[in-house]
Order: sequence, then C-alpha cells, then structure tokens
Amino acid sequence: MESERRARRVAIVSGKGGVGKTMVAANLAAALAKTGHSVLVVDSDLGLANLDVMLGVQPSYTLHDVLHGACALKDALVRVPVCTRGVASTEEASPVDGFDILPGGSGIRDATTLTASAREDLKTLLHELGSRYEFLLCDAGAGIGEVVLFFAQIADDIVVVVTPEPTSLTDAYATIKVLARECGRTDVHVIVNLVAGATPEKAGGAVVSHLRQVASRFLLSDGTTLVRIHLLGVIPSDPAVPRAIARQQLLESAAPTAPATQAIALLADHLFDVATTPLPQS
Amino acid sequence: MNRDGLDLTAALRLLSQAGCPNPMQSGEDETRQLQMLIDTLCDLSSHDGLTGLVNATFFRSILARELDRVARTGRPCALLSLDLDHFKAINDTHGHPVGDLVLRHVARSLQGLMRSMDTAARTGGEEFAVILPECTPSEAIRAAQRLHQAISPITLSIDRVAITVTASAGLAWTDGRSVPDAAQFVAETDHELYRAKRLGRRRLCHPLLPLSHVLPEERASLLAPLPEDKYGI
Repeated sequence: MESERRARRVAIVSGKGGVGKTMVAANLAAALAKTGHSVLVVDSDLGLANLDVMLGVQPSYTLHDVLHGACALKDALVRVPVCTRGVASTEEASPVDGFDILPGGSGIRDATTLTASAREDLKTLLHELGSRYEFLLCDAGAGIGEVVLFFAQIADDIVVVVTPEPTSLTDAYATIKVLARECGRTDVHVIVNLVAGATPEKAGGAVVSHLRQVASRFLLSDGTTLVRIHLLGVIPSDPAVPRAIARQQLLESAAPTAPATQAIALLADHLFDVATTPLPQS
Repeated sequence: MNRDGLDLTAALRLLSQAGCPNPMQSGEDETRQLQMLIDTLCDLSSHDGLTGLVNATFFRSILARELDRVARTGRPCALLSLDLDHFKAINDTHGHPVGDLVLRHVARSLQGLMRSMDTAARTGGEEFAVILPECTPSEAIRAAQRLHQAISPITLSIDRVAITVTASAGLAWTDGRSVPDAAQFVAETDHELYRAKRLGRRRLCHPLLPLSHVLPEERASLLAPLPEDKYGI
C-alpha cells in the first residue's frame, strides 16, 4: 500500500525581527520551485504578516479568512510565478513554474494567542495542504510567542535565521533554548544572513560554531538538553537583496546571478538533502 | 462523653493513633484540659506534621486574611513560592526518610530567617511558600533572595554521603493599590516560579527581572568573543 504523501514542514524562525526571515522564505521557495519542487509558503505570522507585500501580490483572502470559514482554502492560495532571466538583459523573462503562498493577516490583534480549537483547525488545514505539496515553508513571526512555538512544534525541520549582530545572535540563542526546553526540539538548522566580508562562508561558520559552543556549555549544564545546531547555509550581505525587496521582486527575477541568489540556491539544495533524510518515528 | 456531649475518649484515641502525646494528663481541671485538647487539634489541623510549618489549607486562609488587610490598609504584601529541584530523585535514590530530613532542614532554614510577622507554609510535597507582609518590592526581593539562598543550595551529610539540594523560587507582590485575590496572587507567584524552572532551576524569578530567556552568563558568553574580523561585521 502506498503511504500517504506528506509535505516536509519547515518552520522558519528567528527570534529577532528584521533579520531577513521572510526574504529567506520567499526566495528559498523560489529556488526549490526552480529545481522542480512543489512548494507552499504559509505566512505564519498571524499578527503582522508581510509575505504578500514582499512578493508584490494583493491577496483577496488570508489564512485568517480560511480559519474563520470566510473563504475556501483554494481561494486564499496565491500563485507566485518564478521568472528566470537570461544573462543578457534584453532577453525576455521566461516564467518557469512557481510556488504558492497562503497569506497571513496583518494587524490582527488577537493573533498572539491560539485557542485550542484554532490549533486543531490549523493542524487540519496544514494536514490537508501537506498532501498537495512537497514543502510547506512556514514563515513564523518574530519573538517566541505561542504562535511561533505552535508552528515550531508541528514542523519537521526548524530553520533559525540569524545575522552576525549581537542582538540577533542573542535572540536566536533564546529561540533555540526555548524550542529545546519547551518543545523538545533539539535539532535546529541555522541560516546566517547578511554576512559581510570577503569570506562569508567562513564568517557564517564561525557564528554557528559560536552558537554551538554556548549551547553545549549552558544548555547541557542541567543535564537534560543536548541541542544539535546544524549550519544550513550562509547568505552574504548583497546590495541586490534590498533592491529586490524595494521592487517587491524575487531575487531570481531581479538579480539571478547575484551572490545572495546563488547562496540561496545552494541553501535550497541543502534543505532538500535535509528533507530527504527520514523523519524520526515519533 | 462529658456533659457538653463531647466524646473525649474517641478524640484522645484518634490523637494517640496519630502519634500525639495526650494533652490531658496534667491534672488540670476539665475546662483547662478541654482547652489544651482544642489547641492540640487546632494545631494538628493547621500545621504540617513533618515540618511544623503551616499546612496548605491554613496557608490559604492566612493568605486570604492578609490580602483583606492589604485591601483595607493599602499596605504592600509579597508572596514567595519555593520548589525543591529534582526532589523525587532524592526520595528515589536515598529513600523517603532522607527526603523527610531534607524537608525538615528546609523548614528550619526558612523559619530561622523569617520575621515574626511572616508565615511559612508547606504547600505541597516539596513546595513551600512564605507570606511577607509589609514589604515593598525591593524589600521583598531582598528577603526572597535571603530565604532562597538559605535553602539553595543546601548540602546535608547523611551516612557520610553528601546530598545537595537546590530550589527554584518565584516572587510576586502587591503594592496595596491593586489587590489580587488569593488564587490570583498564587498564580502570579507560580508564573515566576515556572519561569525560574524554565531558565534552568536553582534561581529566583520576580516581575522586575527582564522577560528574557537568556541568562546574564549566557549573554556574556554569547557576546564576549565577538571580534569584528571573526564575524565580518
């Protein structure tokens, strides 16, 4: 009997806002789509969602509408085409297939807590969506609130986006700690974004090994939590990124050969490798 | 059965079964003896037999009375909640008699540091609470730190085996202007206690501590070796 197909659920979290979480989610989805995978990005920031803004789409409905029964699921999904452009700028942009997004709600004040029934509805919804895609990328909000923890709990893989800034590093560590202590999530993948310098790979690697050292020193001290921090990839600081965001475009369309675009393509490969490893039985 | 209809014999038998000395053997007159019996029964029903501290039921009524006083007078009051870390492991490893010794030691340590107006209670198996009337937040924090430090860590040497026990603690207070009810006050204190547990136990948390999941020592370690060339900032 063929087992039921289920999307790999990836929660993208950061702790601190403004580290490029949504940029990573959108462009990672584009990179995965470009290599032939079916992807849905769920804007899981139920309070201050902005994935639709970043991609320049104007959704008619949001996740909130679906959960409240105001529309059918299919009406809330928005297709985002991924355009690839040849090296010569005169060449016509050719849309390859794209990916879907499920927009979140913006400015919803009661979105920081989840009732038991909302949790069940969300689980049912994600289960339904899981049969249609290979990847569900959940772009969670900033902070370590209830909603973020919910998406982290139901995810197969957790990706923490961090920048080399002290504030981001501290918040990423806090997120990793809370996920380990409160959700038992002891395997996390880290993307180091906005890495400057001539050797971003090396600098990004140093950030992750630093996080690892602090985690092994403190999180093991009570003898209960061994956290494994894996480096998923490094995205260099690249002026193409703010330009693409300002134009509400994907990097793949705005700057296909930029270092950040290439780094995200590599990230997508790594994520695919992670996703093809079997899930634990639980 | 005496003339007031009290079955003294039955009451005394219950006391004896509970291991209490007979309060009525001193040759006093009957009224005096009755008073001693009532005192003994009151004490038994309001105090924890093992530690001698106030028990959970009496604690709740004292706390409610204290909060009534706060509402009436507008004076502050604080509540400290203490929970021994991994206490089950002590019972499992060393046996319940050793666990009981630890609990009695904790109770004595708390009693030794309290003011006469404070009330210490054993509110659960390895849970304790101290009501601290007339304490401003800063006074309450200082008192809570002293009480917490007195029992965390404690090391007892039993049969030449050193047993170290630590405790997590949560503190909350009312300034006398907005007065919570007893259940609310306990919940506020427990909230801080759970935070202390989450942060790695053996610590005291209170509402003035930043709502951070990262401890000062973790922060220092995260941020200390951050040379610019290493991270390419």
